[in-house]
Amino acid sequence: MARTNALKKDRKITWKEIKRQKTLLIISFFVVIYGVIFYYWPLTGWLMAFQNYKPKDGLLHSKFVGLEKFQFLFSDATFLKVIRNTFCMGALNLLTTTVMAILFAILLNEIRHTLLKKTIQTVSYLPHFLSWIIVTGILHDALSSTGIINDLLLKAGIIDQAINFFAYPKYFWPIVAFANCWKETGWNAIIYLAAITSIDPCLYEAASIDGAGRLARIRYITLPGIKPTVMILLLMNVGNVLNAGFEVQYLLGNGLVQSVSQTIDIYVLKWGISQNDFSLGTAAGIFKSVVSIALIVVCNAWAKRAGEERLF
Amino acid sequence: MKFKKLTSLMLVTAVTASMLAGCGGGSNEVSSTNSTGDNSSASAGGGKTDAVESSGNENQEITEFSYFITMPGKEINDDNEIAQIIAEKTGVKVKETWLTGQTAAEATGTLVAGGEYPDFIDSDDMSVLVDAGALLPLDEYIDQYPEFKETWFTEAEWDKFRQPDGHIYWINPFGNTYGESKATTHNDEAFWIQVKVLEWAGYPDIQTLDEYFDLLESYIEANPTMEDGTENIAYTILCEDWRYFCLENAGQFLAGYPNDGSVIVNKETMTIEDYNTSEDTIKYLRKLNEEYHKGYVDPESFTQTYDEYIAKLSTGRVLGMVDQWWNFAYTVNDVFKQQGLDLKGCNYVPLGLTTERGMENRWHTYDDTVNQASGIAISVDCKDPDKAFKFLVDICMDQELHDLRFWGIEGVDYLVDDEGLFYRTDEMRKNWADTAYQAAHRCQYSYFPQWGGTHTDGKNAMKPEEQPSEFMSDMAEPLVKCFEAYGVTTYPGMIDSVVETNAEWFPMYSFSNNFTTETPGGTAWALMGECKHEWLPKVVMADDFDKGWQDYMTAYSACKPEDFLSEMQAILDTFK
Repeated sequence: MARTNALKKDRKITWKEIKRQKTLLIISFFVVIYGVIFYYWPLTGWLMAFQNYKPKDGLLHSKFVGLEKFQFLFSDATFLKVIRNTFCMGALNLLTTTVMAILFAILLNEIRHTLLKKTIQTVSYLPHFLSWIIVTGILHDALSSTGIINDLLLKAGIIDQAINFFAYPKYFWPIVAFANCWKETGWNAIIYLAAITSIDPCLYEAASIDGAGRLARIRYITLPGIKPTVMILLLMNVGNVLNAGFEVQYLLGNGLVQSVSQTIDIYVLKWGISQNDFSLGTAAGIFKSVVSIALIVVCNAWAKRAGEERLF
Repeated sequence: MKFKKLTSLMLVTAVTASMLAGCGGGSNEVSSTNSTGDNSSASAGGGKTDAVESSGNENQEITEFSYFITMPGKEINDDNEIAQIIAEKTGVKVKETWLTGQTAAEATGTLVAGGEYPDFIDSDDMSVLVDAGALLPLDEYIDQYPEFKETWFTEAEWDKFRQPDGHIYWINPFGNTYGESKATTHNDEAFWIQVKVLEWAGYPDIQTLDEYFDLLESYIEANPTMEDGTENIAYTILCEDWRYFCLENAGQFLAGYPNDGSVIVNKETMTIEDYNTSEDTIKYLRKLNEEYHKGYVDPESFTQTYDEYIAKLSTGRVLGMVDQWWNFAYTVNDVFKQQGLDLKGCNYVPLGLTTERGMENRWHTYDDTVNQASGIAISVDCKDPDKAFKFLVDICMDQELHDLRFWGIEGVDYLVDDEGLFYRTDEMRKNWADTAYQAAHRCQYSYFPQWGGTHTDGKNAMKPEEQPSEFMSDMAEPLVKCFEAYGVTTYPGMIDSVVETNAEWFPMYSFSNNFTTETPGGTAWALMGECKHEWLPKVVMADDFDKGWQDYMTAYSACKPEDFLSEMQAILDTFK
């Protein structure tokens, strides 16, 4: 970014220049229009958060109420819990999926047998293509009191009575994290595998001549080699932490665990759609967007200071 | 080929043009057909065929209306036979779509957010739709059909449906009795128990919750599994979404009150009381807690979905539960019939339990219950409101159409004997209960207005399950024996509730269902619901009941139930 700015300063924009870039300009014009229509225009809906919005009156004729909706939001104990849930589940998901993906990529990379390697890889990312409704269905069955997990635990003598996993809040976050891991590990590993392949093989050869074992090679070559990729992906995903999920929590939750299962998205659905308070739903949505932007900016600044790879 | 394409193109244009024409100047035409429709329905029986013939002669186009119902249901096939016959007779076919996956409130909210509505809507959140300007006022249409207006509701009942702006937007399709009541089912809530359990114990007299659970316990000790080895479950509770009434409101019935649903009304002092905190509810939950720890309450109770619950009941392994008849019986009884489980005594009968022996109970509502909180409405986007409303009226006022919906086709689904009584053979009954047959043949339009009670011929019942002879021969052997043992002939007989007429305000839930978060009471109501959803299961599962109850009460009072109760009191005061 900075470099292009510097370039622009040197050169004046002339008609000749514009003519020369005619095609490019036309192409980008459409992209800009697209962006305005689909990304910026909908943002006018944010006005709802400051109104007492009624579908009948529309955006133009609803009454403005200032920050009243935000006040209600932050005085609602449930919302504070919801923020906590979203943040914790998001962070947990990010951490587990990233670690698992890296681990899996490295392990897979160590397999020398190509056919085996390819087969495992293909199999591993198949769950990514299942929709959440199916995954939650599988989980529901597997974790039910007559499901496979309870069967195994009972047969192994670890427990003497079936556990109803969905009835206890303490199990909920781990279940969600596990579900995410199961579904996304293989898929996320693809990009790390690609990063690993781009590491110069000479480094490995040199290292093994110097007497480095497998573990040492992973530690001193593979890991530092994929560090930039990891950093960039982490940064990008930090912005997604608050998108901790909607379907999983929505489909797996029930009355007993609702205090730990509700995320901001569910809260928005509950107030915005079910209770028909569009304004409150929008306010919660705005809060989420603002926090997400802030998170990215902060992390990016931190990465910059630490001298790591960064987004902007 | 080309010629074919051309013709089809022309046809499409013609249809579109005629549809456009229908939008513009259609109202005159339709109102003229209205009047003929009225005449025919005024004279029951004979006049009907005229109407049908005349509509047949006109060779009218079939209009397909969409209908969204915020309840789960089964879609029928597009080429459903009875739907086709009804379409030929009325010129209207309705495509019903049901709730899938979402909650009722979400589905309604999504409609409002999208701003596009189906032709007909039935929702639990009607006020939301009115607020959004989604519904068509029906007053004018209702006035066009004086017979319907008079017979369907009384003036006072119609007034209950009037919204603050003075208009009527929806009509409740259920709970209306034509002529003499023939109610044979207990279409209400109860503690249900399988007949085989009663038979095993020699048909004891069960009146209290303690006796009920004692019986379940001793049965399951003696018969831990079914014949095929499936483990029996003594008692299960459905808790999903709004259906958690199966756990939530038994307290009001155990105390001997009727189903006001959200509160108890003390008739003597005319005050609103909260059953959530009543002694009877505490006692009830304490009992559930005890049974849960003894292992008699299904551990999956609080996490199962409605589908899982129905599947569980359908296996015949669940001995008892609290539920509303309509919430399980139609599906589960059909499965029992097909699997032969009804012959093994798996059918459920209701018990009118109370906290103490000898108390009056009001589980059964004898009068028609008019729930003004929901019903069928016509949306502003409706293609042809006149035709739609005419259909809505005809489908219940025209006896022939009503018979098609609930009895089926004469000669195929039922037979008529010399005295004019309808009856069915075993095979017809079995077909009627078969899911594939239902999708291909049966078309009840079950969320359109419908009658219970006596047929307009004065002999039969409006619905087969209310026809005494049908009802008796449809019952499996164990059920008949059970009824005989208790000396009753119908389900309401089993429950033996006090016979009384409904109070004017009954049911109070029809008011609270319309509360929105605009008012403090409505907000409190929403928060209370959420709190109870979480805490009731927790209380039942708590290791220390008293501590669990205390924690629940702390959370409960934080929802400010008093705001809700005082708004309900204000409504009750208008009936003083």
